[in-house]
Amino acid sequence: MTIRSTTSALAVAIALLAAPVTAAPQSAPAPVAAVGQATPPVVALAPVTAGQASVRHHHHAKGDSLEGFNRVMFSIHQFLDRIFLRPVSMAYKKIVPKVVRTGIRHVFSNVGEPLVFANDLLQLKPKRAIRTLARFGVNSTIGIGGLLDVAKTSDFNLPHHDNSFGNTLGRYGVGPGPYIFLPLVGPNTLRDFGAGVGEGSVLPLTVGTPFDRAEYQAAQAGLTGIDLRAESDAELKALLGAAVDPYATLRSAFLQDRAATIAELRHGTKQTSSPLDDPLNDPGATEAVPAASASAGPAKPATDDLPADPAPPADEKSAAPSAPAQPSPAP
Amino acid sequence: MIFSLRYVVPMVALCSAVPLAAQATDPARAPVQTLNDGLLTIMKGGSALGTQGRIARIGPVVDQTFDIGLITRLSVGPDWVKVAPGDQATLVSAMRRMTVAQYASNFSTYGGESFSIDPRVETRGTDKLVRTTLSAPKGDAVPIGYRLRQSGGKWKIVDVYYKNAISQLATRRADFASVFAKGGAKALIAHLDDLAAKGGR
Repeated sequence: MTIRSTTSALAVAIALLAAPVTAAPQSAPAPVAAVGQATPPVVALAPVTAGQASVRHHHHAKGDSLEGFNRVMFSIHQFLDRIFLRPVSMAYKKIVPKVVRTGIRHVFSNVGEPLVFANDLLQLKPKRAIRTLARFGVNSTIGIGGLLDVAKTSDFNLPHHDNSFGNTLGRYGVGPGPYIFLPLVGPNTLRDFGAGVGEGSVLPLTVGTPFDRAEYQAAQAGLTGIDLRAESDAELKALLGAAVDPYATLRSAFLQDRAATIAELRHGTKQTSSPLDDPLNDPGATEAVPAASASAGPAKPATDDLPADPAPPADEKSAAPSAPAQPSPAP
Repeated sequence: MIFSLRYVVPMVALCSAVPLAAQATDPARAPVQTLNDGLLTIMKGGSALGTQGRIARIGPVVDQTFDIGLITRLSVGPDWVKVAPGDQATLVSAMRRMTVAQYASNFSTYGGESFSIDPRVETRGTDKLVRTTLSAPKGDAVPIGYRLRQSGGKWKIVDVYYKNAISQLATRRADFASVFAKGGAKALIAHLDDLAAKGGR
């Protein structure tokens, strides 16, 4: 039921992740990495303390130094989304015919292609840049000012790809900076937010009218925002509907996605930061020792054959974002 | 003689290539195949099966293909060892229920989707990475990766990667971290129960 025809593959995929996913990458494992470090679990002998391991936790998660602020903004966003953004978006989707909605989406996307082109160039991807330029040319002419995505068809085979100045900065080593969530703007990082603001002023400054007109900018922001909200409704539901802490879930998914995109630009493929980099040490495996002495005896390690130590070698290899696990080998 | 050999040799090679390839199939692919088959079944069953019907179908598949226990431990993190055994068991069953319910509600319709599994399986230490692609007649193909680890002699899924980028486990850890840090296992269990109640509506 969540799966709608257009977005079905995406929705299904997200669903696959069962919950967690809409957008994100590898910096998130960072908090996780703490897991790996939890070496001294001998303490566990007293499982009694269980229920309230209430460690006072005024900390923010890794990569989210503005967490307090962000959470407030997120609540405001959720409220606005409930009373305004989502209803309007769903109405838009229901009332406006699909051809019109995709046409509008294409026009605004087409207007952005020169910026994609510029970033392709800045990232020293000439082939990509040429394809982007060709795509822009085809769609602006045959595609009637971008209304139709002719370039995507098999005749041309020039599908859209995303690119941004945030990607370019990341490509050259600028870190993401703190995570920032703003109402109606959504998840971001300082780098991407700043880059986005800068990029947003390129067309107004270079081309001028109509891009420098407030009416145009409002229409663009409103229409693309509402359209995006409507199109990602199923995904958002799948992601956040199953979350204990929707704020953290969205942040994690977003940051993982961004980190993967940047890693791909920097190293050629996402695979350089292989998902296998994070060793995933089983916290329960360490526990097997105390537990065994407590009761189950030798049986425990045997049945519970989830190796605890598989990972240390792997984690030395990880030059990648999931690297935070590295400190752990020491103990 | 020579003439016929020219044909026979390649033919033999061709014939033997097939079983060879089959033999070379990585054992870690099997559970992923099982899961994909199960998902297609409930998608095609759709509303005829109903939510409960889909849960009933996919539940055993999840049990067979996922290491829910390990996933739960990793989702909670190192503090797992401080959780009372009773709460540990509750968390694991909550995680299972949630996983099954999510598959059942998210894979509820069929629009011609298909899964393919990349024959190349990456291995690192104890773990394997099986890459798959979800394709639909409309929309872009979506890469989905599965990380597997052996448990009791069987390969079990311990993490799922959407677009080869977003780790379900990493996301879940982030999801749990704050609630667990503030309220411990009990608070987490309460939240999960709430979610289950909502999902069952």
